[in-house]
Amino acid sequence: MKINEPFVEKILTAFIREELSKFNYKKGILGLSGGLDSAVCASLAAKALKPSNVVGLIIPYGETFSEDVKDAQEFARLLKIRSRTINISPMVDAYFSSYPTENKILKGNKMARERMSILYDFSAREKALILGTSNKTELLLGYGTIHGDMACGINPLGDLYKTQIKQLAEYLGIPEKIRKKIPSAGLWIGQTDEEEIGLSYDEIDKILYQLVDKRTPKKDIIASGFKKETVEKIISLIKNSEFKRKLPPIPKISSRSVGHDFLFPFDWDK
Amino acid sequence: MKVALAQISPHLGNVKKNFDLHLKYIEKAKRKNVDLLIFPELSLTGYTLKDLVGEVALSPDSDPFFDELKTASRDVSLVFGFVEEKERGLFYNSAAFLSEGKILHIHRKVFLPTYGMFEEGKFFALGKNFHTFSTPYGNTGMMICRDFLHYGACYLLFAGGSEIIIVISAAPGRGIQGKEAYETSRMWESMGETISLFSTAFLIYCNRVGFEDGKHFSGGSFIYNPMGKLVAKASYLDNEFLFQEINLDDIREVRKKWPYKRDDRPEIILEALKRIIGKYED
Repeated sequence: MKINEPFVEKILTAFIREELSKFNYKKGILGLSGGLDSAVCASLAAKALKPSNVVGLIIPYGETFSEDVKDAQEFARLLKIRSRTINISPMVDAYFSSYPTENKILKGNKMARERMSILYDFSAREKALILGTSNKTELLLGYGTIHGDMACGINPLGDLYKTQIKQLAEYLGIPEKIRKKIPSAGLWIGQTDEEEIGLSYDEIDKILYQLVDKRTPKKDIIASGFKKETVEKIISLIKNSEFKRKLPPIPKISSRSVGHDFLFPFDWDK
Repeated sequence: MKVALAQISPHLGNVKKNFDLHLKYIEKAKRKNVDLLIFPELSLTGYTLKDLVGEVALSPDSDPFFDELKTASRDVSLVFGFVEEKERGLFYNSAAFLSEGKILHIHRKVFLPTYGMFEEGKFFALGKNFHTFSTPYGNTGMMICRDFLHYGACYLLFAGGSEIIIVISAAPGRGIQGKEAYETSRMWESMGETISLFSTAFLIYCNRVGFEDGKHFSGGSFIYNPMGKLVAKASYLDNEFLFQEINLDDIREVRKKWPYKRDDRPEIILEALKRIIGKYED
Protein backbone atom coordinates (compact mmCIF):
# COMPACT_ATOMS: atom_id res chain seq x y z
CA MET A 1 0.00 0.00 0.00
CA LYS A 2 2.90 2.36 0.68
CA ILE A 3 3.86 4.42 -2.35
CA ASN A 4 7.08 5.98 -3.51
CA GLU A 5 5.99 9.62 -3.28
CA PRO A 6 8.50 11.35 -5.61
CA PHE A 7 7.89 8.71 -8.29
CA VAL A 8 4.11 9.09 -8.01
CA GLU A 9 4.44 12.87 -8.08
CA LYS A 10 6.48 12.61 -11.26
CA ILE A 11 3.94 10.30 -12.91
CA LEU A 12 0.89 12.36 -12.00
CA THR A 13 2.38 15.73 -12.97
CA ALA A 14 3.49 14.21 -16.29
CA PHE A 15 -0.03 12.85 -16.77
CA ILE A 16 -1.66 16.25 -16.13
CA ARG A 17 0.79 18.03 -18.43
CA GLU A 18 0.50 15.45 -21.21
CA GLU A 19 -3.29 15.12 -21.17
CA LEU A 20 -3.78 18.89 -21.25
CA SER A 21 -1.42 19.27 -24.16
CA LYS A 22 -3.07 16.38 -26.06
CA PHE A 23 -6.43 18.09 -25.84
CA ASN A 24 -4.99 21.57 -26.48
CA TYR A 25 -5.56 23.02 -23.04
CA LYS A 26 -3.11 25.29 -21.24
CA LYS A 27 -5.15 25.55 -18.09
CA GLY A 28 -6.65 23.19 -15.56
CA ILE A 29 -9.61 23.94 -13.32
CA LEU A 30 -10.84 22.14 -10.23
CA GLY A 31 -13.17 22.53 -7.29
CA LEU A 32 -11.33 23.37 -4.06
CA SER A 33 -13.22 22.21 -0.99
CA GLY A 34 -10.62 22.91 1.66
CA GLY A 35 -10.19 19.14 2.02
CA LEU A 36 -7.34 16.76 1.32
CA ASP A 37 -8.06 15.37 -2.16
CA SER A 38 -8.65 18.67 -3.92
CA ALA A 39 -5.60 20.13 -2.15
CA VAL A 40 -3.40 17.31 -3.41
CA CYS A 41 -4.81 17.60 -6.92
CA ALA A 42 -4.32 21.39 -6.95
CA SER A 43 -0.78 21.02 -5.69
CA LEU A 44 0.07 18.48 -8.42
CA ALA A 45 -1.55 20.71 -11.05
CA ALA A 46 0.42 23.75 -9.84
CA LYS A 47 3.63 21.73 -10.23
CA ALA A 48 2.63 20.28 -13.60
CA LEU A 49 1.47 23.58 -15.08
CA LYS A 50 2.35 27.09 -14.08
CA PRO A 51 0.36 28.05 -10.95
CA SER A 52 -1.19 30.86 -13.00
CA ASN A 53 -2.64 28.17 -15.30
CA VAL A 54 -4.54 26.50 -12.47
CA VAL A 55 -7.96 27.79 -11.44
CA GLY A 56 -9.39 26.69 -8.10
CA LEU A 57 -13.11 27.22 -7.80
CA ILE A 58 -14.36 27.44 -4.23
CA ILE A 59 -18.07 26.69 -4.42
CA PRO A 60 -19.70 26.81 -0.99
CA TYR A 61 -23.35 26.60 -0.09
CA GLY A 62 -23.89 29.80 1.86
CA GLU A 63 -22.00 30.17 5.12
CA THR A 64 -22.36 26.49 6.06
CA PHE A 65 -18.68 25.64 5.74
CA SER A 66 -17.02 29.03 6.17
CA GLU A 67 -13.97 27.49 7.83
CA ASP A 68 -13.37 25.19 4.84
CA VAL A 69 -13.82 28.14 2.47
CA LYS A 70 -11.18 30.05 4.39
CA ASP A 71 -8.80 27.07 4.29
CA ALA A 72 -9.34 26.64 0.54
CA GLN A 73 -8.73 30.35 -0.11
CA GLU A 74 -5.58 30.34 2.00
CA PHE A 75 -4.34 27.21 0.27
CA ALA A 76 -4.92 28.74 -3.18
CA ARG A 77 -2.86 31.77 -2.07
CA LEU A 78 -0.13 29.46 -0.81
CA LEU A 79 0.03 27.63 -4.15
CA LYS A 80 -0.19 30.97 -6.01
CA ILE A 81 -2.98 29.54 -8.19
CA ARG A 82 -5.97 31.62 -9.28
CA SER A 83 -9.11 31.14 -7.25
CA ARG A 84 -12.66 32.31 -7.22
CA THR A 85 -15.43 31.80 -4.69
CA ILE A 86 -18.97 31.26 -5.92
CA ASN A 87 -21.86 30.78 -3.53
CA ILE A 88 -24.40 28.25 -4.80
CA SER A 89 -27.10 28.94 -2.21
CA PRO A 90 -29.21 31.20 -4.52
CA MET A 91 -29.50 28.49 -7.18
CA VAL A 92 -29.95 25.60 -4.78
CA ASP A 93 -32.45 27.47 -2.58
CA ALA A 94 -34.45 28.56 -5.63
CA TYR A 95 -34.87 24.92 -6.61
CA PHE A 96 -35.73 23.59 -3.18
CA SER A 97 -38.21 26.41 -2.53
CA SER A 98 -40.23 24.93 -5.39
CA TYR A 99 -39.51 21.30 -4.52
CA PRO A 100 -38.87 21.23 -0.79
CA THR A 101 -37.34 18.24 0.95
CA GLU A 102 -35.76 17.40 4.27
CA ASN A 103 -33.77 14.56 2.74
CA LYS A 104 -30.11 15.43 3.32
CA ILE A 105 -28.86 13.18 0.55
CA LEU A 106 -31.14 14.78 -2.04
CA LYS A 107 -29.95 18.20 -0.94
CA GLY A 108 -26.32 17.12 -0.94
CA ASN A 109 -26.54 15.57 -4.41
CA LYS A 110 -28.19 18.69 -5.77
CA MET A 111 -25.35 20.79 -4.37
CA ALA A 112 -22.72 18.45 -5.83
CA ARG A 113 -24.38 18.76 -9.25
CA GLU A 114 -24.69 22.52 -8.92
CA ARG A 115 -20.93 22.64 -8.32
CA MET A 116 -20.40 20.41 -11.35
CA SER A 117 -22.53 22.71 -13.47
CA ILE A 118 -20.48 25.73 -12.41
CA LEU A 119 -17.19 23.90 -12.97
CA TYR A 120 -18.23 23.00 -16.52
CA ASP A 121 -19.38 26.55 -17.18
CA PHE A 122 -16.08 27.96 -15.97
CA SER A 123 -14.19 25.25 -17.83
CA ALA A 124 -15.67 26.68 -21.04
CA ARG A 125 -15.22 30.34 -20.00
CA GLU A 126 -11.60 29.77 -19.00
CA LYS A 127 -10.79 27.15 -21.66
CA ALA A 128 -9.56 24.97 -18.82
CA LEU A 129 -9.81 21.19 -18.49
CA ILE A 130 -11.57 19.93 -15.37
CA LEU A 131 -9.30 17.95 -13.06
CA GLY A 132 -11.24 15.38 -11.05
CA THR A 133 -10.49 14.72 -7.42
CA SER A 134 -12.16 11.33 -6.84
CA ASN A 135 -9.79 8.85 -5.24
CA LYS A 136 -9.70 5.08 -5.74
CA THR A 137 -11.47 4.39 -2.43
CA GLU A 138 -14.43 6.60 -3.38
CA LEU A 139 -14.57 5.29 -6.93
CA LEU A 140 -14.66 1.69 -5.75
CA LEU A 141 -17.23 2.27 -3.03
CA GLY A 142 -19.30 4.58 -5.21
CA TYR A 143 -18.99 7.22 -2.50
CA GLY A 144 -19.65 10.18 -4.76
CA THR A 145 -22.49 11.86 -6.64
CA ILE A 146 -22.85 10.59 -10.20
CA HIS A 147 -22.62 13.58 -12.58
CA GLY A 148 -21.69 15.62 -9.51
CA ASP A 149 -18.28 15.50 -7.87
CA MET A 150 -17.42 12.45 -10.01
CA ALA A 151 -17.66 14.47 -13.25
CA CYS A 152 -14.38 15.64 -14.77
CA GLY A 153 -12.18 15.72 -17.88
CA ILE A 154 -9.32 13.70 -16.42
CA ASN A 155 -8.91 12.19 -12.98
CA PRO A 156 -5.29 12.24 -11.79
CA LEU A 157 -6.05 10.76 -8.34
CA GLY A 158 -8.30 7.91 -9.46
CA ASP A 159 -5.77 5.12 -8.85
CA LEU A 160 -4.70 6.19 -5.36
CA TYR A 161 -6.43 5.05 -2.18
CA LYS A 162 -7.32 7.65 0.42
CA THR A 163 -4.50 6.50 2.70
CA GLN A 164 -2.04 6.80 -0.20
CA ILE A 165 -3.28 10.33 -0.87
CA LYS A 166 -2.62 11.16 2.78
CA GLN A 167 0.92 9.88 2.32
CA LEU A 168 1.38 11.91 -0.85
CA ALA A 169 -0.10 15.01 0.82
CA GLU A 170 2.54 14.97 3.51
CA TYR A 171 5.28 14.66 0.92
CA LEU A 172 3.78 17.53 -1.09
CA GLY A 173 3.78 19.73 2.00
CA ILE A 174 0.02 20.23 2.18
CA PRO A 175 -0.65 22.28 5.37
CA GLU A 176 -1.26 20.16 8.44
CA LYS A 177 -4.64 21.78 9.02
CA ILE A 178 -5.92 20.33 5.74
CA ARG A 179 -4.17 17.00 6.21
CA LYS A 180 -5.57 16.44 9.68
CA LYS A 181 -9.15 17.27 8.77
CA ILE A 182 -11.70 14.52 9.19
CA PRO A 183 -12.65 13.51 5.63
CA SER A 184 -16.10 14.77 4.67
CA ALA A 185 -18.10 14.94 1.46
CA GLY A 186 -19.39 18.26 2.83
CA LEU A 187 -23.00 17.52 1.96
CA TRP A 188 -24.22 18.59 5.40
CA ILE A 189 -22.79 19.82 8.67
CA GLY A 190 -21.24 17.13 10.80
CA GLN A 191 -21.18 14.61 7.98
CA THR A 192 -18.04 12.49 7.92
CA ASP A 193 -17.18 9.88 5.32
CA GLU A 194 -16.15 7.28 7.84
CA GLU A 195 -19.27 7.65 9.96
CA GLU A 196 -21.51 7.53 6.91
CA ILE A 197 -19.80 4.48 5.43
CA GLY A 198 -19.54 2.98 8.89
CA LEU A 199 -15.86 2.05 8.59
CA SER A 200 -12.52 3.81 8.91
CA TYR A 201 -10.55 4.63 5.75
CA ASP A 202 -7.65 2.73 7.18
CA GLU A 203 -9.73 -0.43 7.40
CA ILE A 204 -11.55 0.15 4.09
CA ASP A 205 -8.32 0.69 2.17
CA LYS A 206 -6.65 -2.38 3.63
CA ILE A 207 -9.60 -4.50 2.55
CA LEU A 208 -9.93 -2.86 -0.87
CA TYR A 209 -6.22 -3.29 -1.50
CA GLN A 210 -6.52 -7.01 -0.82
CA LEU A 211 -9.75 -7.42 -2.79
CA VAL A 212 -8.85 -5.29 -5.80
CA ASP A 213 -5.09 -5.00 -6.14
CA LYS A 214 -4.11 -8.38 -4.73
CA ARG A 215 -7.21 -10.28 -5.92
CA THR A 216 -7.28 -12.04 -2.53
CA PRO A 217 -10.35 -14.29 -2.11
CA LYS A 218 -12.93 -13.02 0.38
CA LYS A 219 -12.46 -15.96 2.73
CA ASP A 220 -8.72 -15.32 3.00
CA ILE A 221 -9.30 -11.65 3.83
CA ILE A 222 -11.71 -12.64 6.58
CA ALA A 223 -9.25 -15.27 7.81
CA SER A 224 -6.53 -12.60 8.01
CA GLY A 225 -8.52 -10.83 10.74
CA PHE A 226 -11.22 -8.62 9.19
CA LYS A 227 -14.83 -8.97 10.26
CA LYS A 228 -17.00 -10.92 7.84
CA GLU A 229 -19.73 -8.22 7.89
CA THR A 230 -17.19 -5.51 7.12
CA VAL A 231 -15.73 -7.36 4.12
CA GLU A 232 -19.22 -8.18 2.86
CA LYS A 233 -20.35 -4.60 3.25
CA ILE A 234 -17.42 -3.39 1.17
CA ILE A 235 -18.08 -5.98 -1.54
CA SER A 236 -21.72 -4.97 -1.65
CA LEU A 237 -20.83 -1.26 -1.92
CA ILE A 238 -18.53 -2.06 -4.85
CA LYS A 239 -21.16 -4.20 -6.58
CA ASN A 240 -23.96 -1.70 -6.19
CA SER A 241 -21.99 1.23 -7.54
CA GLU A 242 -20.73 -0.23 -10.82
CA PHE A 243 -23.21 2.07 -12.62
CA LYS A 244 -21.21 5.06 -11.41
CA ARG A 245 -18.07 3.75 -13.08
CA LYS A 246 -19.55 2.94 -16.48
CA LEU A 247 -21.33 4.63 -19.33
CA PRO A 248 -25.03 3.69 -19.35
CA PRO A 249 -25.86 0.48 -21.24
CA ILE A 250 -27.14 0.87 -24.77
CA PRO A 251 -29.29 -1.88 -26.29
CA LYS A 252 -27.25 -3.33 -29.11
CA ILE A 253 -29.54 -3.55 -32.11
CA SER A 254 -27.35 -2.48 -35.04
CA SER A 255 -24.27 -4.07 -36.55
CA ARG A 256 -21.93 -1.61 -34.87
CA SER A 257 -22.85 0.22 -31.72
CA VAL A 258 -21.47 2.81 -29.32
CA GLY A 259 -20.47 1.10 -26.11
CA HIS A 260 -20.20 -2.35 -27.71
CA ASP A 261 -18.11 -2.70 -30.82
CA PHE A 262 -17.41 0.86 -31.89
CA LEU A 263 -14.02 0.75 -30.23
CA PHE A 264 -11.74 3.74 -30.37
CA PRO A 265 -9.17 5.05 -27.92
CA PHE A 266 -9.84 8.09 -25.76
CA ASP A 267 -6.54 9.60 -26.99
CA TRP A 268 -7.53 9.13 -30.63
CA ASP A 269 -5.07 11.00 -32.88
CA LYS A 270 -3.52 12.84 -29.93
CA MET B 1 29.17 -0.85 -33.83
CA LYS B 2 27.11 2.20 -32.90
CA VAL B 3 23.58 1.52 -31.71
CA ALA B 4 20.87 4.04 -30.79
CA LEU B 5 17.48 3.54 -29.20
CA ALA B 6 14.70 6.06 -29.81
CA GLN B 7 12.66 5.93 -26.61
CA ILE B 8 9.75 7.99 -27.94
CA SER B 9 6.07 8.62 -27.34
CA PRO B 10 4.29 8.07 -30.67
CA HIS B 11 1.09 9.92 -31.67
CA LEU B 12 -1.82 7.52 -31.38
CA GLY B 13 -3.27 6.62 -34.77
CA ASN B 14 -1.38 9.22 -36.82
CA VAL B 15 1.16 7.55 -39.13
CA LYS B 16 2.24 10.79 -40.83
CA LYS B 17 3.17 12.49 -37.55
CA ASN B 18 5.02 9.39 -36.39
CA PHE B 19 6.82 9.07 -39.70
CA ASP B 20 8.07 12.66 -39.25
CA LEU B 21 9.12 11.81 -35.69
CA HIS B 22 11.08 8.83 -37.06
CA LEU B 23 12.81 11.07 -39.62
CA LYS B 24 13.84 13.43 -36.83
CA TYR B 25 15.52 10.62 -34.92
CA ILE B 26 17.04 9.22 -38.12
CA GLU B 27 18.68 12.62 -38.76
CA LYS B 28 19.98 12.64 -35.20
CA ALA B 29 21.34 9.12 -35.66
CA LYS B 30 23.03 10.03 -38.94
CA ARG B 31 24.81 12.94 -37.28
CA LYS B 32 26.27 10.52 -34.75
CA ASN B 33 27.19 7.93 -37.40
CA VAL B 34 24.85 5.37 -35.87
CA ASP B 35 24.82 1.98 -37.58
CA LEU B 36 21.54 0.70 -36.17
CA LEU B 37 18.63 2.81 -34.87
CA ILE B 38 15.79 1.06 -33.03
CA PHE B 39 12.28 2.35 -32.33
CA PRO B 40 9.68 0.81 -29.96
CA GLU B 41 6.70 -1.45 -30.69
CA LEU B 42 4.09 0.09 -33.01
CA SER B 43 6.29 3.18 -33.26
CA LEU B 44 4.62 4.28 -36.52
CA THR B 45 1.09 4.07 -35.09
CA GLY B 46 0.91 4.15 -31.29
CA TYR B 47 -0.31 1.22 -29.22
CA THR B 48 -3.94 1.52 -28.05
CA LEU B 49 -5.35 1.39 -31.57
CA LYS B 50 -8.48 -0.76 -31.16
CA ASP B 51 -10.62 -0.25 -34.30
CA LEU B 52 -7.97 2.05 -35.79
CA VAL B 53 -5.83 -1.01 -36.58
CA GLY B 54 -7.21 -1.34 -40.12
CA GLU B 55 -6.92 2.39 -40.77
CA VAL B 56 -3.22 2.68 -39.94
CA ALA B 57 -2.08 -0.60 -41.50
CA LEU B 58 0.75 -0.51 -44.06
CA SER B 59 1.79 -2.91 -46.79
CA PRO B 60 5.60 -2.87 -46.78
CA ASP B 61 5.86 -3.62 -50.50
CA SER B 62 3.73 -0.75 -51.72
CA ASP B 63 3.64 1.84 -48.95
CA PRO B 64 5.28 5.24 -49.66
CA PHE B 65 6.36 5.70 -45.99
CA PHE B 66 8.06 2.34 -46.18
CA ASP B 67 9.82 3.35 -49.40
CA GLU B 68 11.25 6.43 -47.70
CA LEU B 69 12.34 4.45 -44.66
CA LYS B 70 14.01 1.92 -46.96
CA THR B 71 15.90 4.78 -48.60
CA ALA B 72 16.89 6.12 -45.16
CA SER B 73 18.21 2.67 -44.24
CA ARG B 74 21.04 3.12 -46.77
CA ASP B 75 22.59 5.49 -44.21
CA VAL B 76 21.41 3.87 -40.97
CA SER B 77 19.84 0.46 -40.42
CA LEU B 78 16.39 0.71 -38.85
CA VAL B 79 14.12 -1.35 -36.64
CA PHE B 80 10.62 -0.03 -36.02
CA GLY B 81 7.11 -1.20 -35.24
CA PHE B 82 4.01 -0.88 -37.40
CA VAL B 83 0.69 -2.47 -38.24
CA GLU B 84 1.22 -4.73 -41.23
CA GLU B 85 -1.48 -5.75 -43.66
CA LYS B 86 0.20 -8.89 -44.92
CA GLU B 87 -2.79 -10.35 -46.66
CA ARG B 88 -5.90 -8.29 -47.33
CA GLY B 89 -7.76 -7.75 -44.08
CA LEU B 90 -5.21 -9.55 -41.88
CA PHE B 91 -3.41 -7.15 -39.57
CA TYR B 92 -0.22 -8.00 -37.69
CA ASN B 93 1.66 -6.24 -34.91
CA SER B 94 4.99 -6.27 -36.78
CA ALA B 95 8.61 -5.22 -36.48
CA ALA B 96 10.71 -4.44 -39.56
CA PHE B 97 14.50 -4.58 -39.92
CA LEU B 98 15.63 -2.36 -42.80
CA SER B 99 19.21 -2.08 -43.97
CA GLU B 100 21.05 -0.96 -47.11
CA GLY B 101 17.77 0.05 -48.74
CA LYS B 102 16.13 -3.35 -48.24
CA ILE B 103 13.79 -5.10 -45.86
CA LEU B 104 15.91 -7.79 -44.23
CA HIS B 105 13.16 -9.22 -42.07
CA ILE B 106 9.67 -8.64 -40.70
CA HIS B 107 8.76 -10.27 -37.40
CA ARG B 108 5.07 -10.63 -36.59
CA LYS B 109 4.22 -10.70 -32.89
CA VAL B 110 3.35 -14.21 -31.79
CA PHE B 111 2.31 -13.76 -28.18
CA LEU B 112 -0.51 -11.21 -28.24
CA PRO B 113 -1.51 -10.37 -24.64
CA THR B 114 -5.28 -10.55 -24.30
CA TYR B 115 -6.35 -10.32 -20.66
CA GLY B 116 -6.96 -7.60 -18.08
CA MET B 117 -5.85 -4.31 -19.61
CA PHE B 118 -4.57 -5.95 -22.83
CA GLU B 119 -6.70 -6.74 -25.88
CA GLU B 120 -4.26 -7.38 -28.72
CA GLY B 121 -5.78 -10.75 -29.64
CA LYS B 122 -9.02 -8.94 -30.40
CA PHE B 123 -7.48 -6.78 -33.09
CA PHE B 124 -4.37 -8.50 -34.45
CA ALA B 125 -3.64 -11.69 -36.37
CA LEU B 126 -1.12 -14.04 -34.82
CA GLY B 127 2.48 -14.27 -36.05
CA LYS B 128 3.81 -17.80 -36.38
CA ASN B 129 7.58 -17.75 -36.29
CA PHE B 130 10.77 -16.66 -34.57
CA HIS B 131 13.32 -16.32 -37.27
CA THR B 132 17.02 -15.55 -37.10
CA PHE B 133 18.23 -13.59 -40.11
CA SER B 134 21.54 -12.28 -41.26
CA THR B 135 22.42 -8.57 -41.08
CA PRO B 136 25.63 -6.57 -41.69
CA TYR B 137 26.26 -6.87 -37.92
CA GLY B 138 25.68 -10.58 -37.45
CA ASN B 139 22.79 -13.01 -37.09
CA THR B 140 19.87 -11.22 -35.54
CA GLY B 141 16.49 -12.11 -34.08
CA MET B 142 13.57 -9.88 -33.17
CA MET B 143 10.75 -10.12 -30.66
CA ILE B 144 7.92 -7.77 -29.79
CA CYS B 145 7.16 -7.00 -26.15
CA ARG B 146 5.31 -10.00 -24.67
CA ASP B 147 7.18 -12.39 -27.01
CA PHE B 148 10.23 -11.68 -24.86
CA LEU B 149 8.58 -12.84 -21.65
CA HIS B 150 8.08 -16.31 -23.14
CA TYR B 151 11.45 -17.94 -22.74
CA GLY B 152 10.59 -20.50 -25.42
CA ALA B 153 10.63 -17.62 -27.90
CA CYS B 154 14.04 -16.51 -26.64
CA TYR B 155 15.28 -20.09 -26.97
CA LEU B 156 14.19 -20.27 -30.61
CA LEU B 157 16.28 -17.21 -31.42
CA PHE B 158 19.22 -18.68 -29.51
CA ALA B 159 18.84 -22.04 -31.28
CA GLY B 160 18.48 -20.21 -34.59
CA GLY B 161 21.88 -18.62 -34.03
CA SER B 162 21.02 -15.04 -33.05
CA GLU B 163 24.00 -13.04 -31.87
CA ILE B 164 21.96 -9.89 -31.48
CA ILE B 165 18.46 -10.11 -30.03
CA ILE B 166 16.30 -7.04 -30.48
CA VAL B 167 13.11 -6.55 -28.48
CA ILE B 168 10.79 -3.67 -29.28
CA SER B 169 8.19 -2.93 -26.67
CA ALA B 170 5.21 -0.82 -25.59
CA ALA B 171 5.10 -1.95 -21.98
CA PRO B 172 2.81 -0.07 -19.61
CA GLY B 173 4.12 0.31 -16.06
CA ARG B 174 2.32 -1.05 -13.01
CA GLY B 175 3.11 -0.88 -9.31
CA ILE B 176 4.25 2.30 -7.52
CA GLN B 177 6.03 0.98 -4.48
CA GLY B 178 9.39 0.68 -6.21
CA LYS B 179 12.35 3.04 -5.96
CA GLU B 180 12.41 5.02 -9.20
CA ALA B 181 10.54 2.79 -11.62
CA TYR B 182 7.30 0.88 -11.95
CA GLU B 183 7.56 -2.55 -10.35
CA THR B 184 6.97 -4.18 -13.75
CA SER B 185 10.20 -2.66 -15.14
CA ARG B 186 12.11 -5.20 -13.10
CA MET B 187 10.74 -8.17 -15.07
CA TRP B 188 12.05 -6.79 -18.38
CA GLU B 189 15.45 -6.13 -16.85
CA SER B 190 15.52 -9.56 -15.30
CA MET B 191 14.80 -11.17 -18.69
CA GLY B 192 17.37 -8.88 -20.33
CA GLU B 193 20.09 -9.96 -17.95
CA THR B 194 19.20 -13.64 -18.09
CA ILE B 195 18.66 -14.01 -21.81
CA SER B 196 21.79 -12.06 -22.77
CA LEU B 197 23.92 -14.05 -20.32
CA PHE B 198 22.63 -17.50 -21.26
CA SER B 199 22.32 -16.82 -24.98
CA THR B 200 25.76 -15.19 -24.99
CA ALA B 201 24.19 -12.59 -27.27
CA PHE B 202 23.59 -8.85 -27.19
CA LEU B 203 20.12 -8.06 -25.91
CA ILE B 204 18.70 -4.73 -27.00
CA TYR B 205 15.34 -3.69 -25.51
CA CYS B 206 13.63 -0.53 -26.76
CA ASN B 207 10.50 0.51 -24.86
CA ARG B 208 8.36 3.62 -25.29
CA VAL B 209 7.18 6.35 -22.93
CA GLY B 210 4.12 8.59 -22.64
CA PHE B 211 0.47 8.01 -21.78
CA GLU B 212 -2.32 6.49 -23.87
CA ASP B 213 -5.80 6.44 -22.36
CA GLY B 214 -4.19 6.63 -18.91
CA LYS B 215 -1.80 3.72 -19.54
CA HIS B 216 1.74 4.88 -18.78
CA PHE B 217 4.52 3.31 -20.83
CA SER B 218 7.49 2.72 -18.62
CA GLY B 219 10.60 3.41 -20.74
CA GLY B 220 13.81 2.07 -19.22
CA SER B 221 15.19 0.83 -22.56
CA PHE B 222 18.47 -1.05 -22.19
CA ILE B 223 21.34 -2.95 -23.77
CA TYR B 224 22.94 -6.00 -22.15
CA ASN B 225 26.19 -7.39 -23.54
CA PRO B 226 26.74 -11.15 -24.13
CA MET B 227 28.22 -11.46 -20.64
CA GLY B 228 24.90 -10.40 -19.10
CA LYS B 229 26.25 -6.97 -18.15
CA LEU B 230 24.17 -3.84 -18.53
CA VAL B 231 25.97 -1.46 -20.87
CA ALA B 232 23.31 1.21 -21.49
CA LYS B 233 20.09 2.23 -19.85
CA ALA B 234 17.54 4.94 -20.66
CA SER B 235 15.48 6.87 -18.13
CA TYR B 236 12.18 5.41 -17.01
CA LEU B 237 9.65 8.05 -17.93
CA ASP B 238 11.20 10.46 -20.41
CA ASN B 239 11.83 10.67 -24.13
CA GLU B 240 15.42 9.73 -24.83
CA PHE B 241 17.89 9.09 -27.60
CA LEU B 242 20.09 6.39 -26.06
CA PHE B 243 23.41 6.06 -27.87
CA GLN B 244 25.85 3.23 -27.22
CA GLU B 245 28.89 1.78 -28.93
CA ILE B 246 29.05 -2.02 -28.63
CA ASN B 247 31.84 -4.41 -29.48
CA LEU B 248 30.65 -7.38 -31.54
CA ASP B 249 33.87 -9.26 -30.70
CA ASP B 250 32.39 -9.70 -27.22
CA ILE B 251 30.18 -12.45 -28.65
CA ARG B 252 33.18 -14.49 -29.82
CA GLU B 253 35.09 -13.92 -26.59
CA VAL B 254 32.29 -14.97 -24.29
CA ARG B 255 31.34 -17.99 -26.39
CA LYS B 256 34.90 -19.29 -26.02
CA LYS B 257 34.50 -19.10 -22.27
CA TRP B 258 30.84 -20.15 -21.93
CA PRO B 259 30.02 -22.63 -24.72
CA TYR B 260 26.23 -22.70 -24.22
CA LYS B 261 25.74 -22.26 -27.94
CA ARG B 262 28.21 -24.99 -28.88
CA ASP B 263 26.62 -27.38 -26.39
CA ASP B 264 23.00 -26.65 -27.27
CA ARG B 265 20.99 -29.71 -28.34
CA PRO B 266 17.93 -28.45 -30.24
CA GLU B 267 17.21 -31.95 -31.59
CA ILE B 268 16.78 -33.26 -28.02
CA ILE B 269 14.57 -30.30 -27.13
CA LEU B 270 12.52 -30.88 -30.28
CA GLU B 271 11.99 -34.58 -29.58
CA ALA B 272 11.08 -33.86 -25.97
CA LEU B 273 8.60 -31.18 -27.10
CA LYS B 274 7.03 -33.62 -29.53
CA ARG B 275 6.58 -36.12 -26.71
CA ILE B 276 4.96 -33.41 -24.53
CA ILE B 277 2.62 -32.39 -27.34
CA GLY B 278 1.88 -36.05 -28.07
CA LYS B 279 0.43 -36.37 -24.60
CA TYR B 280 -2.09 -33.55 -25.11
CA GLU B 281 -5.64 -34.66 -24.63
CA ASP B 282 -8.17 -33.77 -27.32
